[in-house]
Amino acid sequence: MSSKRITHQRVALGLLALVLSMVPVASQSPSFYPDDPIALDDDMSLDAAKVVRIADSNIYDFVENTFANPGVRHDVRAQNVNTIGDVPDSSWFVNRMGQRPLSTAELVRGPDRFDSVSLDGWKVSGDKSSGLQPGFRMTDPTGHLYQIEFDPPSNPEMATGAEIIGTAFYHAFGYHTVEVYIAELDPAKIEINPEARMTDPLVGKRRRLTRRDVDEVLSRAARMPNGHYRVLVSRFADGAPLGNFRYYGTRPDDPNDIIPHEDRRELRAARVFGAWLNHDDSRGVNSLDMLHTDGGRRYVKHYMFDFGSIMGSGTVFAQRHRAGNEYIVDWAPGWLTLATLGLYTRDWLHIDYPDVPPSVGRFEGRSFDPLEWRPEYPNSAFDNMRADDAFWAARIVAKFSDADIRAIVSKARYSDPRATDYITATLIERRNKVLKTWLTAANPLVDFALGSDGAFTFTNAAVAAGVATPATEYRVRWSRFDNSTGSTTGAIEATTTGTRMPAPPAVVKDAEFVQVDIASEHPQFSAWKAPVTVHFRRHSSGWGLVGVSRVQ
Amino acid sequence: MIHAARERRCPVYNALVSRRVIGFYVWVGFVVAIAAPAPAFAQASAPPPQTRAEVLQRARDEKGRSVTPYERNGLERALNTVETRVQSYFGRDGVHPKFGSLDTGSGFAFGVGYLNRRLVDREGALNIWGAVSLKKYWAVEGSFDMPSLAAGWLTLGTYARHQDYPQQAFFGIGPESRRDDQTAFRIVNSMAGGRARVKPARSLTVGGGVEYFRHELAPGRSKEIPSIEALFTDATAAGLGTTRNFLRPYFTFEYDYRQPRNARKGGWYRLEASRFADATDQFTFNRVDVDLRQYGSILAERRVLAVRLYASTSEPGSGARVPFYLMPTLGGHDSLRGFRDYRFRGPHAILTQTEYRFEVWSGFDAALFYDAGKVTLRRSDLNFKDLEHDYGFGFRFNTDNGTILRIDAGFGSSDGKHLYIVFGDVF
Repeated sequence: MSSKRITHQRVALGLLALVLSMVPVASQSPSFYPDDPIALDDDMSLDAAKVVRIADSNIYDFVENTFANPGVRHDVRAQNVNTIGDVPDSSWFVNRMGQRPLSTAELVRGPDRFDSVSLDGWKVSGDKSSGLQPGFRMTDPTGHLYQIEFDPPSNPEMATGAEIIGTAFYHAFGYHTVEVYIAELDPAKIEINPEARMTDPLVGKRRRLTRRDVDEVLSRAARMPNGHYRVLVSRFADGAPLGNFRYYGTRPDDPNDIIPHEDRRELRAARVFGAWLNHDDSRGVNSLDMLHTDGGRRYVKHYMFDFGSIMGSGTVFAQRHRAGNEYIVDWAPGWLTLATLGLYTRDWLHIDYPDVPPSVGRFEGRSFDPLEWRPEYPNSAFDNMRADDAFWAARIVAKFSDADIRAIVSKARYSDPRATDYITATLIERRNKVLKTWLTAANPLVDFALGSDGAFTFTNAAVAAGVATPATEYRVRWSRFDNSTGSTTGAIEATTTGTRMPAPPAVVKDAEFVQVDIASEHPQFSAWKAPVTVHFRRHSSGWGLVGVSRVQ
Repeated sequence: MIHAARERRCPVYNALVSRRVIGFYVWVGFVVAIAAPAPAFAQASAPPPQTRAEVLQRARDEKGRSVTPYERNGLERALNTVETRVQSYFGRDGVHPKFGSLDTGSGFAFGVGYLNRRLVDREGALNIWGAVSLKKYWAVEGSFDMPSLAAGWLTLGTYARHQDYPQQAFFGIGPESRRDDQTAFRIVNSMAGGRARVKPARSLTVGGGVEYFRHELAPGRSKEIPSIEALFTDATAAGLGTTRNFLRPYFTFEYDYRQPRNARKGGWYRLEASRFADATDQFTFNRVDVDLRQYGSILAERRVLAVRLYASTSEPGSGARVPFYLMPTLGGHDSLRGFRDYRFRGPHAILTQTEYRFEVWSGFDAALFYDAGKVTLRRSDLNFKDLEHDYGFGFRFNTDNGTILRIDAGFGSSDGKHLYIVFGDVF
C-alpha cells in the first residue's frame, strides 16, 4: 500500500469524524418548534447599552452601494420569516395591513397621535440639520420638538403632500415611521425662542437664530394665496438618534441585530412598496435607528422616514425623468448612449407625462413596470429580493382598496381636486401592475386550512386579486412528516381543479405532522409549477398550519 | 531535478509538507475533532433549545458577548470628512482656497480668497482673492457688492484688481495672421470701477458702470515663444510698447431665460456697449459686443442643441486706433476650439458655435461641436463668408447649475488638434 493511498484514507477518516461530530446537532433541531409559527421576534430583549451613534455620509452611501456591492448577494430565503413565511413583529416591522384590514380611519391616521396640529404658540427653536427642503425646527407648548418643512415655490403642496401620503402608506405596510401633519404657518405669528441656535450657512458656526434667518427660509418656500405657508410638521421620534441603518449586514454594537439586513424580508420587499409609490429615495440615508428606553432596558428601533421624494415629487423640484427608471449610474445604457452618440435612447426618455397640477410633480402609471423599477442606486436588500419576498409584499399591497388609496391621498389636502384624482388614479394603476407582476411570479396559493373533518382548503391570491384566471389543475402530494428528521413517508398524490379537497385518511390518520406539496398548472404562469410546501401539526382540536414554503 | 534542488534549499519546508507529516496532521485533526469538539458540538452538550424563541435568544446572547462599536473604513472616514468638513468650506465665508484659471492660456491657477457676506446688516459682500498660475500669471482682486438691494431688484458694486499676465499670445491682427508668427507679450493691468444693475423683470437685467484702468505692456516672458517686439511694431500691433490709461463707461442689456442655469432650454441674449476713452485720444474707440445663445432640447431634455452667435465691432475715434490688446480674439477653449489660444485677433469678430449635447449618465454629458468664426479688419466684412472652422467632441461633468469640468478635443482646423480641460462651460 503506497503512502499516498494511506494519506487519502486518513483524510477521508478525518473528514468523516468531523461530519459525524455535526450530525447529532442537526438531528436534534426539529423542523418546527412548539411555538412555531412565531408572531413576535423579540429583538428588543437584550440591553443595547453599548450602541453608539454612527456618523452618516450621503456620499459614502452612494459610492459604496454604486461601486462596491456591499452585503451578500445570494438567492436564499429571507432569514427573519417565520415558518409560514410571514414576518414576525419586531423592532423593524409591525404587521398592520398585512395582518388585518385597517379601517379607513386607521389608515389615514397612520402613526399620528393627533387629528391635526395648530402652530399657535409654537416657537422656532433651531435650524434643520440636513435635507434639501427649506425648513426649521419648532417646539410645541409642551416642549416637544418638531421639524417644519416647506414646499418649493415651483410646486406648491408637492413635497408636503408626498411626505404625508408616503408616511401613511409605509405605516400601514408595517414600518416604523414618525408622525407627520399638514399645518398652516402664519408668518406674522412666528415666534422665535431666544435660545434658538443655528449653523450659519455662510460661516459654518453656531449662532443665534434670528427673524431674518426665518425670512430667508420663507423666501424659498411656496406661499399660499392668503399669505400663509403650508408646512409639513414632523414630530421627532422618541429616544436618542443613532444614525441610519444600512440595507446590508448588522449593527455590530447591537446584540439584538443578528439577521443580515439584506436577508430581512421587510427590507427586501420594500422594493415592491418603493416601486408602487416610486420611492426612488429608498436608501440607507433615509432611515433612522433610535435608541429607546423601556423600563431601564434599551433597544434599537428602526424607522423609515423622509418620503418627500416619492411619487412625482423630487422634494425641491418635480421628480426627474430618470427617477424610478434607472440608477444614477447605470453602466450599460450609458455606454450604449455614448457609443451611438445619443442615437440610442432609454425607454424612459419617451415617457409622455400628462399635464397635471404642479402639486403632482412628475408621476405616471402607464409606462410603470414593477420589474424594471429602480431606486437611486443599488440596494443590497432589494437585490436579494426573491419571488417569495415580493409575493409577501404584493399581498399587503392587494389589501389596499381603491377607496383606501383615495382616503390616504386625500390626507394630503391638495387644494386642487384634480391632483387628488390624478394621484389616486395613478396609484391604483400602479397597484394593479404590482399585483399582476408579483402575485403571479410565484405559486400564489395562500390561506391553507386542514379542517378536523379532513377538508383541505386554500385560496389562489392572484385569482382573488383579479390578476389571473384560476389554475387549470392543482397537483397535490400528501405525506406524513417526521418533525425530528424532516423526512416524509407514505406519499399519496392527487389532483383537483378546485381549491377544496379531502385529505387522504391514510396519510392524516394518527399523523402528528402532515406535509402537502401543491403545484399549480396554468398556461400563462410557469412559476406556478413549483410546489408550495405546507405543513400542518395536529392539535387537540384539529390541525394547525405550521409551515409554508413558497420558493425553494 | 528542480524538485530535488528545492528539497536541498528548503529542508524545513520539505519537512512540513511531506506526505507522512500531512498524514500526521489529519490524524491530529481527527483526535481534535473527537476530544476537543467545535463550538457547534459544544452546544450540543447544552440542552437543546425547546422553542424558536429560545433559538433566536441564544443567537442574540452569543452576539451579546462580542458586540463591538461600528468602525468606519478608510474610505468612509475620508468621504465623511469631505462631506462634513471639506465640502462645507466651498461657498462659505471666510478664508478659502481658490482653484481654476486666471485667463485663457494661463494654465491651472491656485490661490486664496476671503469672503464676507455679512457686512452692512448682511446686505454687503466683500470678496478678496489672489492667485497664481503654473505659467506665472497672477492676479489679486477685491470687490464689494450689495446684491440684494430693493428686494433683489438692484445691485450695486465696486471693485479693484491687478493682473500680471506674462505670456499672452499674439499672432498678428486680422484674418491673415500667420500661425508661425506666434509671439508673446506681457500685460499688466490695474483697474478700479463701479457697477450697477437693475432687474425690472425676472429675466431682464439692465446695467452699467464705469471703470478706470491702466494697461502696461512689456516683452513676453515665454522661453519657447519669441517676444512680440521680435516680429511686430506699433504699426502692426497698435499700442505696442506703450502704457495707456483708459476710462470705460459701459452699458449692458441682458435677457436670460435659460432653464436651468446649465441650460437645456431657453435663451440668453446680451448686449454690451462701451467707450474706451484714452487720455490722449490716440486710442479712444467705441465697442459693441452681442452674444446670443439659444438652447433647445428633446427627450426629457437629455438631448440638447445649443447654438451661439457672437459678434464684436469696434469704432475708433477720428485719427485714433484700437489697441491690439483690447481687440476681441478667437481661438481657444471657449471660441474656436480647434485653434490655439488667441489665434485670431482683430477689431471686428464673428463667431458661431453649435453643440449637440447628450446625457450619458446623470451628471455626465458628452457633446459634439462645430465652431466657425473669423476676425476682420473692416466692419463690412463681418459676414459668414470665409470662416475659420473646427469640430470636435467633449465631455462635461455637470449639475443643473453649471458645468464643473469640461474636456474638449478640437479637430479639423488648420491649426492641428487641441485638447482643453477646463473648469466651466463654453456657453
